[in-house]
Amino acid sequence: MASVSAASVAFRALSKPPLKSNETSRLKIVSLGWRKNGFPSLRSSRLHVSCAAKPETVDKVCEIVRKQLALPAEADLTPESKFSAIGADSLDTVEIVMALEEEFGISVEEESSQNITTVQEAADLIEKLVQKKPEA
Amino acid sequence: MASASAAAAAPSKPEVLTLFRSLLRTAREFCDYNVREYVRRRTIDGFRHNKDLADPSAISAAFSDGKSQLEVAKRQAVVYSLYAPEVKSVMELKR
Repeated sequence: MASVSAASVAFRALSKPPLKSNETSRLKIVSLGWRKNGFPSLRSSRLHVSCAAKPETVDKVCEIVRKQLALPAEADLTPESKFSAIGADSLDTVEIVMALEEEFGISVEEESSQNITTVQEAADLIEKLVQKKPEA
Repeated sequence: MASASAAAAAPSKPEVLTLFRSLLRTAREFCDYNVREYVRRRTIDGFRHNKDLADPSAISAAFSDGKSQLEVAKRQAVVYSLYAPEVKSVMELKR
């Protein structure tokens, strides 16, 4: 079944409880998201994903974090890992947020950026801003 | 001027991070690739170099130095935009 295969692909990137990945796998089928972010207007009109961020977003965030911190390829980077745990200080966090702003074309406010501590939080914030952007 | 520098006691960590962020945002506004990359590099290097300062007066001196540089960068971003290059640098095409 298509949803199972999508979920197994999603498990590679996400280590979340099953019910959340069900939401994302449903999302994958609707959006056929293989490119960067696809068409945000389609997604936001059909499904309101409040908690789970898309796996592609999380992957991109992870890649940017890896590049910024120069992590070796075998270093474990899960969505739940805190920035401070992987060796990023506050300056690194600011740089990571700026790189994410450029990558996704969003603008993060001061207070929001100071509250980002894990990869998943960053991905969720990006999702929220990307969805808000076309409606603005 | 003297009272302004005396009133600026050691800046807090969020203030320093805000200054860092403002400098990086200002760097993005430059249309010239070289200047943009330089401003980014210089702010990152400068902040990392002064990361471990402990003396409050040294910290506030570095902070006010950074603020004046931010003003310079903002002005220069406007001036550079008046003479924007028509052709983008080759480094920007690779993306």
